[in-house]
Amino acid sequence: MKIFKKSILIFIFLLFPLNLFLLMGSSITVNYPLTIIDDTGTAVTIPQEPQRIISTAPSNTEILFALGLQKKIVGITNYCNFPEETKNIEKIGEMTPLNLEKIISLYPDLILAYPGLQLKEIQRLRELGLSVIALDPLTLEDTFKSVKMIANICGISEKGSLLVDNLTQRVNIIKSKVLKIPISVRPKIFVGSTFETIFTPGAGTLFHELITLAGGENIAAGLSFWKKVSPEFVAQAEPDIIIVPVGAMNQGEESKIKRDLSQHPGWSNIPAIKNQKIFIVNEDLFYRAVPRLVDGLELLYGIFYE
Amino acid sequence: MGSNCYMEFSMNKPLVEIAGYTNWRKKLILMLLVGSLSILVVSLICLNFGVVPINPKDIISLLLNGTQDKTKNLIIWQLRAPRIVLGVITGAALSTVGGAFQGILRNPLADPYILGVSAGAALGACIGIALQHATGYLFASYLPLFAFIGAMFSLYLVYQSSKISYSANSTGLLLAGVAITFLFSALITILLAISRKELQSMVFWLMGDLSAANWKKISIITLPAIIGCLLLFFSSLDLNALSLGEEEALHLGINTGKLRIRIFLIGSIIIASVVSFTGLIGFVGLVIPHIARLLVGPDHRIMLPASAFLGGIFLILCDVLARTVIAPTEIPIGAITAIVGAPLFIYLLRRKNK
Amino acid sequence: MADNHNVLTLKGVHFSYNNNREILSDINFHLPKGELLGIIGPNGSGKTTLLKVISGILKPKKGEISLLNQNLNKLPIEQIAKFISVVPQDTWVTFNFKAKEVVFMGRLPYVSRLRGETLEDYQISREAMEKTHSLSLAENNIQEISGGERQRIFMAKALAQTPQLLLLDEFTSHLDLNYKYEMLNLLKRALKEEGLTIISVFHDLNLASIASHRLLLLNEGKIEKIGLPQEVLTEEMIQKAYGVRPILINHPRLKVPQVIM
Repeated sequence: MKIFKKSILIFIFLLFPLNLFLLMGSSITVNYPLTIIDDTGTAVTIPQEPQRIISTAPSNTEILFALGLQKKIVGITNYCNFPEETKNIEKIGEMTPLNLEKIISLYPDLILAYPGLQLKEIQRLRELGLSVIALDPLTLEDTFKSVKMIANICGISEKGSLLVDNLTQRVNIIKSKVLKIPISVRPKIFVGSTFETIFTPGAGTLFHELITLAGGENIAAGLSFWKKVSPEFVAQAEPDIIIVPVGAMNQGEESKIKRDLSQHPGWSNIPAIKNQKIFIVNEDLFYRAVPRLVDGLELLYGIFYE
Repeated sequence: MGSNCYMEFSMNKPLVEIAGYTNWRKKLILMLLVGSLSILVVSLICLNFGVVPINPKDIISLLLNGTQDKTKNLIIWQLRAPRIVLGVITGAALSTVGGAFQGILRNPLADPYILGVSAGAALGACIGIALQHATGYLFASYLPLFAFIGAMFSLYLVYQSSKISYSANSTGLLLAGVAITFLFSALITILLAISRKELQSMVFWLMGDLSAANWKKISIITLPAIIGCLLLFFSSLDLNALSLGEEEALHLGINTGKLRIRIFLIGSIIIASVVSFTGLIGFVGLVIPHIARLLVGPDHRIMLPASAFLGGIFLILCDVLARTVIAPTEIPIGAITAIVGAPLFIYLLRRKNK
Repeated sequence: MADNHNVLTLKGVHFSYNNNREILSDINFHLPKGELLGIIGPNGSGKTTLLKVISGILKPKKGEISLLNQNLNKLPIEQIAKFISVVPQDTWVTFNFKAKEVVFMGRLPYVSRLRGETLEDYQISREAMEKTHSLSLAENNIQEISGGERQRIFMAKALAQTPQLLLLDEFTSHLDLNYKYEMLNLLKRALKEEGLTIISVFHDLNLASIASHRLLLLNEGKIEKIGLPQEVLTEEMIQKAYGVRPILINHPRLKVPQVIM
């Protein structure tokens, strides 16, 4: 009897490190269920590794691709257009209102949502028992956190950390370069549009953050979020560089855009117009909370200082 | 009063005074002088206000010999001055047409938008904005054209619809205008619902805005607006008669059907021209004619020009508030016209009734 | 064949709104110059419609109306307004004009739109106000005077229009007793002194009898009887039209029938 009890104890003791070993190596059966607190402050429990993911925002879709999780995506919105492969993925329709029927019919086990437009649908989907993670990154830092969160949820945390480290390194290079530039020579930046109504990004937007990180002085720094401004506001700020974000489709019209901006009444004395420092950029690099923001950052630095 | 008193009365008062002979012409000339002067003075005052503080000294030196500060120069002449001129023209046009429409519809609640043209302009503009964002830059500078075409389309629809009703009075026109407005508003609502990026631009256009004014736009609007308003002024006597009633006007030899269509078409074209560039600025066309009536009386010969002046002054003053209260953010001018105009109107009504 | 004696002639006039039930059937009568014709009849008999057809606002479905030897319906309304003026039953004005301004509007058929009223126009208007005893109301706001006062102003306006034919639609309905008779006297004077011809719709049979040279009794859109008051206001006629048999007496001074209930 004593020997029997002893052997059982030894067996259990041996089993324990073995289990630990299994736990560390394999991420398939051991991590789950895990509980995450998403950007709406809700604790969401993921029962097992997601295999069928639906993204209801272009930013979430891009992050999934960046983490190599594209094979698991079963549904994306009409607006998810990057990268090219998104063409072949089934579409669930508009971002708002969300087509709940379509989402449910795809049997997802994870939904990555955007609380800014989809609060009601998120609640409804949760009531129906689905796992919904709401992501609402407002800064570069938040974006990196989102990348890590998605990586953790999908059981590939190392890959997430790797990606974020890489991106952070690139950001730090720019930061250190900018530190060396005295404030007095930093250019004044105006982010404009080619439309009648001028909307420009103020403090609290991703664009503003990137401009500042890249060593520029946003003339709209005193405004918060995206605001409509008058031509007079731009004229008196006398920006040195004008950045015009356009959609990927009209990148061929640069000369026309530059010409029309140059001829805008009341702006002929602006340094950016006088020195023809008008730059067209792909808006997707600046509007979405995705890793490509760092591409945007590097692009801006190049425009400002090279 | 016995018949004796009455005979004395008629013999002592000179004919001219009782008949009011020189009155309306005198009144008109006086009002034109006062009006023009006021507009000039108020415009110069408004030139001072904006994102950039510019004081009267700068402006005077600017007027006299240009200035070293090229930026200030540009701001005053290329941005603020056109904004004020556009404001005067818009305010004048809206008020004149509002007054004329109140006349032909015999309805003090009528405003220049009630006969449907504005809804067409709004739909045209929203479609234009949606296309801008879809095709990129291609249509960006043609937005006013879209709005104008939309306005002409709704004008055509209202005109045809009003011919269907057999009753030859203002109700047919009014109903057609209201119906078309509802129809187009529904279409706009759908457009707003399915637009994501363009939504903000559309909503801002609908609220009305003078900030995108420039001399080129003014050169396009000025002639139709001025000629149109003058044509409306010439119909003043007929509009006076119309307020006695549809049949009464007919008995006075006025072709009410033709008059209605004429005023409707001229007014709508004026509104279409102006609104295509400024968006839908509300309240001005409804209230200013009433204020004009309180001040100068209901004779359209004086009341319509007075509305024009009052409307111009009112709008540019509201515009100053819109662009300075929480600068550099601009409050939509339609909100200011309502917030300022409504209490002012109520105050004037109470004074009149005392 | 020129008919200089008659201001107005109606031949075989029928009227209905859009091919519905006929409101006026086979109306025929002449109206000689200087006469006051009173139109009477029960409610719904078509009195007001007849007035509108005569003034040219409504066009007859069949028949002809000649005004001063011209086809009424071929004349432009600007022209008609120089011959015919109307005092309506309801007199509401949308905007608060001064009473005198309303009277001035009576001159519109003659006023140039560019130059406005002339001194002569003001003189004519003033005279019209004097005749209707409304000069004291001249500076008042039209929306602030009583119904009866408004009626006198509208009468002044109609007279200022210097018509040859004056149409009145129950114009005494809001007037006090003294004004009723003053207006009638005024009309009688206008007939004589200015060669005016008058058609008036009356609700009050007795007033009609006193005021009119001839009466036209309208019943269900047809002329029941047209002629002198004695011929029209008989017990049989009134019974036929109103369904009530009245007691008729002769007016002691004017010798015309008066109805007593």
